[in-house]
Amino acid sequence: MLILKDVYAGYGAGDVINGVSFTINPGENLSIIGPNGCGKSTLLKVMAGLLPYRGEIMLGGQPLHRASRRVISAKIAMLSQMPPLYFSYSVYDTVMMGRYVHNKSRWLGRPSDGDRKIVDDALKAVNLLHEKDKDITKLSGGQQQRVFLARTLAQQPEIILLDEPTNHLDLKHQIELIHYLKAWAKDGNRAIVGVLHDINQALNLSSNVLVMQNGKAAAHGENIVTETLLEKVYEVDVAAYMRQSLEIWRK
Amino acid sequence: MKKLAIIVLALLAVFMLAIGLGSVYIPPLEIVRAVWYRFFGAGEDISGAYIIMWELRLPRALLAFIVGAALSVSGAVMQSVLRNPLASSFTLGVSSGASLGAALVIFAGMSALFSLPTAGFLFGMGAIVLAIALASKMDGRLENNTIILVGMVLSLFVNAITTMLMAMRREYMERLVFWQMGSFSMRGWEAVAILAPVAIIGIIFILFYHRELDIMTFGENEAQLIGVNMRRVKWVLLVASAALTGSAIAFVGIIGFVDLVAPHVVRRAFGARHRLLIPMSAAVGGGFMMLCDLVARTVLPVGELPVGVVSALVGAPFFAYVYFAKRG
Repeated sequence: MLILKDVYAGYGAGDVINGVSFTINPGENLSIIGPNGCGKSTLLKVMAGLLPYRGEIMLGGQPLHRASRRVISAKIAMLSQMPPLYFSYSVYDTVMMGRYVHNKSRWLGRPSDGDRKIVDDALKAVNLLHEKDKDITKLSGGQQQRVFLARTLAQQPEIILLDEPTNHLDLKHQIELIHYLKAWAKDGNRAIVGVLHDINQALNLSSNVLVMQNGKAAAHGENIVTETLLEKVYEVDVAAYMRQSLEIWRK
Repeated sequence: MKKLAIIVLALLAVFMLAIGLGSVYIPPLEIVRAVWYRFFGAGEDISGAYIIMWELRLPRALLAFIVGAALSVSGAVMQSVLRNPLASSFTLGVSSGASLGAALVIFAGMSALFSLPTAGFLFGMGAIVLAIALASKMDGRLENNTIILVGMVLSLFVNAITTMLMAMRREYMERLVFWQMGSFSMRGWEAVAILAPVAIIGIIFILFYHRELDIMTFGENEAQLIGVNMRRVKWVLLVASAALTGSAIAFVGIIGFVDLVAPHVVRRAFGARHRLLIPMSAAVGGGFMMLCDLVARTVLPVGELPVGVVSALVGAPFFAYVYFAKRG
């Protein structure tokens, strides 16, 4: 589905990603964790085709850098932190934008019945169908994030990349988002690659974890997250932190 | 539908006023009769009102409408592409380039037909193409901030050249300053005949990109992730909207604020979707420009004000009201 071999990438001044390799197979999710500045978000941008890279990335058997924007976006969607919104669009129109990559028509006519059904289903999935005519700038941060999730679903990709998507969501919607996405991936033999700061959420998304440190893969695999590894990567006393958290809960 | 009807009626009213008002008043019935006579009548009607209407006011009103429409659509596109509610072609140096072109023609004493509009257009377009090319060279991803910064720096640089030329050739200064203030005075059917097809083709071409424009308002990364080839589409739309501005100001000089006022009014009334924003901005901007020109030529007992002054005097407070009222 997506293969990375010895990938290097950065923003010009130097590499932020230093020789990362892994494979994403259908139905397989991956959580990427690591301290700030370790290159998690940069890696997602590279996988989404937003940044140039060295090394090899194959998307569906084709080198990523040779694929057109339309081909990439038909297969990979990304839900990131929300952009600031300057202009007013309805919830429905915003989600309909997700259909762009599947619809080349330049005419001004109404969207097809098929597109409208896909958008309605995406809005139902995030429980926002009843708000479809609302102006997105008038919604709460959490609702806006769910609109963008619906747009990502309407794009019907094979892989969804998540870059801290739960920032504006309350606990209920955080849990719902992760559950929904896991089910989405499992049902359609698709994949999710998520960067989540909350390690509990990351492990909830997938037991397959890539731990990053200084742009490199410090560890990668199923059930590899241990207290020792976290202490080494985050440079904190994880056991002490956990004890402290438990104390707070007991009180 | 109700809003659309209001805009159509308001446009008709402004059009009738623009034709009817002036040193000679032409009543609405006379206008309708003259139109009827022109298209369905027989023989020659050479009454004074008929000549004033067909030879002076009608081409002037139409030119004002076309210029307003072209500038407004250009503004709407710039704001969406650059994701900046205050952006316009002028941000990227079109007016500075056009002024330099006009200055060179005026100072060189060139008098060939359309030499001033041609130079204004070529230099205006040249400035924006240079701005985008430089931005592209400096920033491979052609990010909005780079484009705006390069446009502003280039604008200041080109303005400095024009000012230097003005300081060296003071005898032509007045003519250039008046050109820069914008006017529809003494522009006839020739200007309408050239500008109308350019504006219509430009606006229809931009309308074909309505979906990309919608998506681009969410940001460059978002647009790419949805599937828009940002680099190509951004180039195409910036050049198309600069061509609209360049061709409009080439004939009438620099007229500001309509490109800010009209798109913001339309966004408030009809929302941000470009399939409506583009045609409605053309209608509202065209009507606004006809109104500004009407004020410019009727407010003084003798002579007329530059239309650019009127559009700024009316447009600046109106824009502030529309823009900040929305923010509460």
